[in-house]
Amino acid sequence: MVLVLALGDLHVPHRAADLPPKFKSMLVPGKIQHIICTGNLCIKEIHDYLKTICPDLHIVRGEFDEDARYSETKTLTIGQFKLGLCHGHQVIPWGDLDSLAMLQRQLDVDILVTGHTHQFTAYKHEGGVVINPGSATGAYSSINQDVNPSFVLMDIDGLRVVVYVYELIDGEVKVDKIDFKKASTSTSAP
Amino acid sequence: MAKKGIPEWLNSSLWSSSPSPIPDDRPLRHTPPAATTTVAPSPPIVEHPSLSPSPSTAPAPIRPPSNSKSENNDLPNGSGGIDVTPPTAAEDVSRKTQVVAELSKKVIDLKELRKIASQGLPDDAAIRSLVWKLLLGYLSPDRSLWSSEFAKKRSQYKQFKDELLMNPSEVTRKMEKSKGGASNDPKLQAPGALSRSEITHEDHPLSLGTTSLWNNFFKDTEVLEQIDRDVLRTHPDMHFFSGDSAVAKSNQDALKNVLTIFAKLNPGIRYVQGMNEILAPIFYIFKNDPDKGNAAYAEADAFFCFVELMSGFRDNFCQQLDNSVVGIRYTITRLSMLLKHHDEELWRHLEVTTKINPQFYAFRWITLLLTQEFNFVESLHIWDTLLSDPEGPQETLLRICCAMLILVRRRLLAGDFTSNLKLLQNYPPTNISHMLYVADKLRSK
Repeated sequence: MVLVLALGDLHVPHRAADLPPKFKSMLVPGKIQHIICTGNLCIKEIHDYLKTICPDLHIVRGEFDEDARYSETKTLTIGQFKLGLCHGHQVIPWGDLDSLAMLQRQLDVDILVTGHTHQFTAYKHEGGVVINPGSATGAYSSINQDVNPSFVLMDIDGLRVVVYVYELIDGEVKVDKIDFKKASTSTSAP
Repeated sequence: MAKKGIPEWLNSSLWSSSPSPIPDDRPLRHTPPAATTTVAPSPPIVEHPSLSPSPSTAPAPIRPPSNSKSENNDLPNGSGGIDVTPPTAAEDVSRKTQVVAELSKKVIDLKELRKIASQGLPDDAAIRSLVWKLLLGYLSPDRSLWSSEFAKKRSQYKQFKDELLMNPSEVTRKMEKSKGGASNDPKLQAPGALSRSEITHEDHPLSLGTTSLWNNFFKDTEVLEQIDRDVLRTHPDMHFFSGDSAVAKSNQDALKNVLTIFAKLNPGIRYVQGMNEILAPIFYIFKNDPDKGNAAYAEADAFFCFVELMSGFRDNFCQQLDNSVVGIRYTITRLSMLLKHHDEELWRHLEVTTKINPQFYAFRWITLLLTQEFNFVESLHIWDTLLSDPEGPQETLLRICCAMLILVRRRLLAGDFTSNLKLLQNYPPTNISHMLYVADKLRSK
């Protein structure tokens, strides 16, 4: 039972001041084992804040990040799942499923997490899942002014991952759940 | 909680050969059950040199009784008639046969068993395991009911484990399965947007709600961490409990499970440091039962016996009750009164002259049931008496503590605050059976 927090596109301080207080009250240290961040934090203070929630932090570079040392893509293995991480501004057209699927095959991962569109999506195609956690602060994007703050928490348990989507709609936190089971590595169908 | 205070060297055989420091006060010496491998500091007792991988060093698993019996038979009895009744091999054999005879009856007479047990049980693992189960009320005296009782209790424990030791994701998965959720076969899920299902605010991992599974799980984690730390510190000198072997690890896991389930089932007192020390001897005895069937279920049996034992002593662990009539402070006051009743001079010296607050030493004696004051094997003997006395463990414990104080009265009366406190917090090794005899004499008529 591994809890992985996926968030990104905070754009602090340029486009937003901070995470919404309701989100901040939920993100307490000690519960989450890993954090994967799609980028565009943009400043070190946010990096430090995320580090206090969980020491295992993985970040990739967004186009507005002030720290140039983050890599463009990252892959990591958690439990039985391979996760891939990329900001998404490199993948054109932005947010397009087929192009992202191409990136997923390139990185050879089961779950690809990207951002940049500031819009939560979760797609499934043969071979894997593409998740976009949206913007955790609700910052505007180049294509969308009206953004609901959102982030994603994944509960990885064996061959099954439960994706909890947290969205702030009209001042209230709404939580949705998505179930995804990976086909076992053996060829026979379950 | 301080670890066991008696350092290794104090327990070595070097000390046991020197004369005991309390020459004249002791009344007629009681016949110790010589089947027990007592760490006897006093010379009159027959030295058992061949038994010298003595319990004072890290106690190995209980020696099979046949060895000690034959060795007793070989050694000369008594060394120059100092005592009235030197231990004879015949007596131990008779005690053992008494116990065995009682145990083999169809319906066991608990009163009779208690009488025999309070004088000390032979060092036979099977006997002690069975007798403790009977004394703690885990098994009824009627032998024919045993198999059904075992089965019922053990399956109940398994149920507890399944329910309480699961983490929330497993729980939610089970709940969905039982609701007959749509199959998650990935082949059936068409590519495209994944379906989202709305859930209530309580069910998610970051929930802060009081009824949330997840929130309670994370709150419990603190208790679990505390239990984990204490289990790792239990009896670090014994291979059974500590070290890197697979055996030690599985024993530690069993202890952890029992304590966790107890904490979850008793939200009133949860887990308090020290409960691990009370559980350790129980689990040790049951796990070392030569009957493999029983040893395999040692965890379940130990859980119920631990619950039974704790039911008498739980008030000692509840902080809110500290100052109340049933709490630990009052119990310590009762010990003080008992000492005053039996030995006013000593009481006055301790409380008034040297101003030693009995809490400084008695707290650990009482809450941990004397497991930390003596080595492991000795504390097993003490527990035989503690569990079997018809007056009940609480009363017996106070009498034994009083006896402990009276036995070192010479040194206490001669000492000041510092030396007395040092003495009482590191109680010197003594003849356990003698101590129990003195405690018995303190029984109020």
